[in-house]
Amino acid sequence: MILSVKDLSFSYGEHPALSGVSLELGGGGVLCVMGPNGSGKSTLIDCVMGLHPGYRGSVTLDGMEVSGTQRKEIARRAAYVPQNHSITFPYTVREVVMMGRTAYLSPFGTPSDGGEELCERAMRRVGILDLADKPYNTISGGELRLVILARALCQDTQLILMDEPTAHLDYRNELVFLEIVSELCLEDGISILIATHSPDQAFYFESHGVQVSAMFLKKGITAAEGRPSDVITAELLEDVYGVRAKILESGGEKTILLQRSL
Amino acid sequence: MKKTGRAVILILLPLLCIAAALVAGRYSLGLSDTLKTLFSPGSVTAENYRVVWYLRLPRSVAAAMCGAALAVSGAAFQGVFRNPLVNSGLLGVSNGAGFGACVAIVFLSGGTWTYILSFVFALSAVALSYFSGRVAKVTTSVTLILGGVIVSSFFSALISILKYMADPYSQLPSITFWFMGSFASINYTHFYAFIPMAIGMLLIFLSRWRINVLSMGDKEAAALGVDVKRYKFLIVGGATLATASAVCISGTIGWVGLVVPHIGRMIVGNNNVKLIPVSISLGAGFLTVMDILARNITTSELPIGILCAIVGTPFFVYLLKKTRGGGWR
Repeated sequence: MILSVKDLSFSYGEHPALSGVSLELGGGGVLCVMGPNGSGKSTLIDCVMGLHPGYRGSVTLDGMEVSGTQRKEIARRAAYVPQNHSITFPYTVREVVMMGRTAYLSPFGTPSDGGEELCERAMRRVGILDLADKPYNTISGGELRLVILARALCQDTQLILMDEPTAHLDYRNELVFLEIVSELCLEDGISILIATHSPDQAFYFESHGVQVSAMFLKKGITAAEGRPSDVITAELLEDVYGVRAKILESGGEKTILLQRSL
Repeated sequence: MKKTGRAVILILLPLLCIAAALVAGRYSLGLSDTLKTLFSPGSVTAENYRVVWYLRLPRSVAAAMCGAALAVSGAAFQGVFRNPLVNSGLLGVSNGAGFGACVAIVFLSGGTWTYILSFVFALSAVALSYFSGRVAKVTTSVTLILGGVIVSSFFSALISILKYMADPYSQLPSITFWFMGSFASINYTHFYAFIPMAIGMLLIFLSRWRINVLSMGDKEAAALGVDVKRYKFLIVGGATLATASAVCISGTIGWVGLVVPHIGRMIVGNNNVKLIPVSISLGAGFLTVMDILARNITTSELPIGILCAIVGTPFFVYLLKKTRGGGWR
């Protein structure tokens, strides 16, 4: 298992954010972490990245406890696709993707010609090679998301952590993103932990042959975990989100129809 | 090949500007005489020797070093604090240095104390910014910048008090002139300031790729494998050291640190791997040329800080037009 979390608890001061969360992920699988705002999804990702070294329990990447490990060692095992990326300087797409090589450089090094090849491969993989020399503030929101994904691929890790990567994307761009994620799992064997607001995405992965499990957090506690079609039920959605919903099925694929808030 | 070519240009530019500074001046000295004075000093008149070796050379070298230090520190601060509008005075360096200079002028009759105290107080101001930002028990860029703003205004109040106390016929003009910046009284003893200046610039130069990554924000930089705290300390510390040692020998010259990095961005783009060396070279060349103008435009010397802004602003606007906004949209 590339990622293994056992009995993880973390508090912001007095306020508990995660209590007793356990999970395992590896072998090109997807784990969809879901739950309402403030349920601890982002905190979980931060803990896995080692940004909260004061956690209790255990978080290991490739068998290595995250707390107390050097940043570059963590970054060689887990890459990160953030929810929002705010642009300050108009770097070119190539320069941004190249930043994925940082964990492999000497303390005062700059990316050399060897990195260039991996960088191009990452851009080709997500289909943005033609944007390589454009300033990355001039591309669309969907393209920007792919640039950040390419940067994560350039980091050459077995695990990618994604925090609501499809937020603010239109239908097509969301689908393009999910297709690429599926390919990365099925073809490249990369494992992906994805925090999302849309249980439909878990259904998408399931019906496209990706080895996926769904995990629901409610106030920092695991409310349910398992295969999406087993776990995601009208009762669970009512319990976790406080909504009345129907699960519809068509040709073996499932989707959620929201009815009203409770 | 392209890389080597660029490196040659970047090294030649400040050297050519310094060469021009050796020739230009009220005491007329041709190119051949200047070269002769430089390379076979035994064979020239005592006047020529003094003008080149004791006036123009130390002065132009100091201008080049200070320009490089201020510009590269500005570029580093803009990257690390993710704000294209800041210069290295952000954390209180300039006002701290100003206060030190005022104390020296008012209580210790200036002289060497001006340099020592302005350097010491410049560093103290940044340390104070850091610790006053840390009162909140967290060190984010915002608390650090807030600390800088507060400490800057604190020192600016202290400067006002000293101005109020100063003798209006001798000390007050000295203070005013110090704040306008000048290289008029540079001699070789000031070259000691080059040691911290060079260390600071070297730290920034070595960390230049990390400045790119840090400008993605703390969290993303950490996820990309950068030890954010350590590199911020190195880069901000380097920039502070470089700025403090520049300001203590030249007085405050704010314009260079803000605008020269942007001129660099318009020429080579935003990648700090290229931008940092370009800022060093452009800053050095720019301030050397400004110093030539400062001592040649009028019979008496013009303050270089003022000149930088007056000559530099139209140049900047021209570049902004030429590069269609330099990538900012």
